[in-house]
Amino acid sequence: MNQVGSLALIGALAFSVFGMVAGAVAGKMRSMRVLKSAERAALAFWVMIAVAVVALEYMIFTNDFHNAYVAQHSNRDLWGAYKVAALWAGQEGSLLFWTFLLAGYGGFAVLLNRKKNRQLMPWVISIVMATGVFFSSLVFFIANPFGELSLVAANGTVTPFRAAEGNGLNPLLQYHSMVIHPPMLYLGYVGFVVPFAFAMAALITKQLGDNWIRATRRWTMVPWMFLGVGILLGGQWAYAVLGWGGYWGWDPVENASFLPWLGGTAFLHSVMIQEKRGMLKVWNVVLVITTFFLCIFGTFLTRSGVVQSVHAFAESNIGPYFAVFIAIILLFSLTLLFLRLDYLKSENKLDSVISRESGFLFNNWVLLAMVFAVLWGTIFPVISKAVQNVTVTVGPPFFNKVAIPIGLILLFLTGAGPLLAWRKTSFQSLKRNFTVPLAVAVGVGAVLLFLGVRDLYAWMTLFLCIFTGVCILGEFYKGARTRSRMRGENFFAAIYNLTMQNTRRYGGYVIHLAMVFLFIGFAGLAFKSETKALMNEGDLIHIKDYMLRCDSLTGGDDPNYTYRRAVFSVTKNGHPIGSIHPERRFYKASQQPTSHVAIKASLAEDLYVVLDGEDPDTNKAIIEVFVNPLVDWVWIGMTVLLFGSLLAMVPSRVEKEMAEIRKPKAEAVEERHAF
Amino acid sequence: MRSSRAVGGRQKAVGSRQKAVGTRASGGVGLAAWLRSLPCKVGESLVLLAAVVLFVSSALGAAPKPTLKSVGQKVYCLCGCVTTLEHCPHPPSECSMRAEMEALIMKDIDAGKDEAAILQDFVNRYGVQVLAAPPAKGFDLTAWVLPGVGLIVGLVVVILIVRRMRKPSSEPAEAPPASIDPKLLAAMEEEMKTSGLGTRD
Repeated sequence: MNQVGSLALIGALAFSVFGMVAGAVAGKMRSMRVLKSAERAALAFWVMIAVAVVALEYMIFTNDFHNAYVAQHSNRDLWGAYKVAALWAGQEGSLLFWTFLLAGYGGFAVLLNRKKNRQLMPWVISIVMATGVFFSSLVFFIANPFGELSLVAANGTVTPFRAAEGNGLNPLLQYHSMVIHPPMLYLGYVGFVVPFAFAMAALITKQLGDNWIRATRRWTMVPWMFLGVGILLGGQWAYAVLGWGGYWGWDPVENASFLPWLGGTAFLHSVMIQEKRGMLKVWNVVLVITTFFLCIFGTFLTRSGVVQSVHAFAESNIGPYFAVFIAIILLFSLTLLFLRLDYLKSENKLDSVISRESGFLFNNWVLLAMVFAVLWGTIFPVISKAVQNVTVTVGPPFFNKVAIPIGLILLFLTGAGPLLAWRKTSFQSLKRNFTVPLAVAVGVGAVLLFLGVRDLYAWMTLFLCIFTGVCILGEFYKGARTRSRMRGENFFAAIYNLTMQNTRRYGGYVIHLAMVFLFIGFAGLAFKSETKALMNEGDLIHIKDYMLRCDSLTGGDDPNYTYRRAVFSVTKNGHPIGSIHPERRFYKASQQPTSHVAIKASLAEDLYVVLDGEDPDTNKAIIEVFVNPLVDWVWIGMTVLLFGSLLAMVPSRVEKEMAEIRKPKAEAVEERHAF
Repeated sequence: MRSSRAVGGRQKAVGSRQKAVGTRASGGVGLAAWLRSLPCKVGESLVLLAAVVLFVSSALGAAPKPTLKSVGQKVYCLCGCVTTLEHCPHPPSECSMRAEMEALIMKDIDAGKDEAAILQDFVNRYGVQVLAAPPAKGFDLTAWVLPGVGLIVGLVVVILIVRRMRKPSSEPAEAPPASIDPKLLAAMEEEMKTSGLGTRD
């Protein structure tokens, strides 16, 4: 199987080189025959990488410990779903998986554009395949997952070796959301290659109208959605596995995934100005380059060992290759942008400062300020080391101080932006639209103060959540009320029809609501309580309204791990609310312990219990209990974010009508540029 | 049973004075003049807002009384977990470094030291990298200053862009193009009507 995998990688590398060259030749010579070859090469690249993935998974499932990667990251008793996850548990496998997703995106782009965007596609294929050349070379030459275990004798003789048992998957990764969190995140990172490729193709072909923007809207939404949901699933994993009662630690790897999401968010907003008003054309290209750069930079940070991280793969030698690749991307894209500046002139002027256009500009300002602040904090240890030869740490105290104020401005714009009209908003309209949300927010803010909310950031966050929530719900309400009056529709039917009529706009509003839910969850962090105790059977622990009684402390054996389990009966304000049983597991293959947190969740707060091992002096169980208010709102926000993103991608009636109207023009353009 | 100890989150109320700026809209000419002057006013207000937000955020830094939790949030555990001491995933029974660092905090708290003195003890013993955020002095000050500078410079750039992109007030309003496709126009009108949102899309 190692040979099959290696051969597939060689094939993938060959097809990616061919696809890259053939795409460029097809674009340059305007040859349909060569374009078809490039398309087939892109699909063959996908198939070859898929074969390599299947070969590695086959070896993982059949416990083929001849393979060094399998021996390092799997073991016989590993549960099936985690055997799938072992594919991305190590450097080599995860790079192979990255390449597989890249090939998948490239393949889908080819299949979905067989009859459209013909002038752009040769260059799109060429650029996606160029990225494919880099990653398949990396997987084949530098981080090959098909290496065999071998024994080297004193005289230098090398003999193949098969381990009796594998080292097993890192225990921290043996959690259900780790089966879907990394693929989601990778789908996000990798997917931005398609809008980047379209932007570069538009620059090369000088087709710089809003065609490439329209062609890539869903190609941008998809990775943006995956990245957002992937980041939050990572938070859910950290919350349930790491046992410190939180879900975000501003770790460099977490930051690395957050940065392209911010860049993508700025791009998704900014493109609307180009579509509606033909403005900000240069800016949109800059944003798509920035986002793709941040994706590759994030991958580089995760894997190079340049910065220390709780999630990072072991330090490796792939950093310099990434640095060169990043330099090539920036040099190529920025040179191309500079050469095409004359074709990127704005078609319109700004009618008024108080308008949707300027609202989007300010939104971009805040998002990019956040990108800068987080990026600066993340790489500052490296800069400090280079400048003053002192390694400093930049952790949560820095990021919380710097990012929270920026986040609050962003939350305000999330509510205020949709209230601004395109071109010009009158003062009266501004007053009319803002009065109710502000009044409700001030009212609720006063109640919060009365209820004892004294933490400034938490109060401001909840105040702005109310403001933004009312702004967004008000948009649904006003639209549905008008529709209901004009067409006599039931109010709820009017909301449904209104949403389906313009899924892009209302899907976007649903995403804004998701942000409100997320920020409600973030505000809860200010009210966290925790306690810690050494406990035996029969002992009680008290925290806020909860009383926990330790009913039993038992141990057990699973094929994959041994465990110690504490069972608590829980009462709240004296009323029984069930039992909760945290575990401490010791994984046999990797010889590593890990906590399995028990959580009793509700919308108001989570009761979060960790069995932290055993006190060596007293043999009592070390129990940590947290009461984490409002955490569930973060997961609700994640679900709403997913729903809103999917909704925004559903073709709406308006979109279909507009496409129908544009069809003759689009066909004429296609014909004009046909090979 | 060891008595349980609830560790509450640090809460600090920061008073802030807000100066209300009255606006006047007394008829067409006044409103137009006010709107024309907006780039400057909006820009200045936002710069001021950004400065206030950054000031308030920096004012929130000092902790009143040290606790294991408050110091544990400000130092990194050096066991290799790459997280703050508070978030170290290894229990003290399994992590000698965490146990040692927590013991040092408790010893200093018992000795009546304030948070700054405890953190200095940590720096003396483990080096500056033990701090979870760089000290705000020397070259490390740039870590703190540049995000704020970036925010303000970005804002100035946006204001300049808005000013440059803005249509001169003398320029007449655009007339709708005569060649607009009637089907497109009908679709747009239908969309605006049913959404009830006027020109807001």
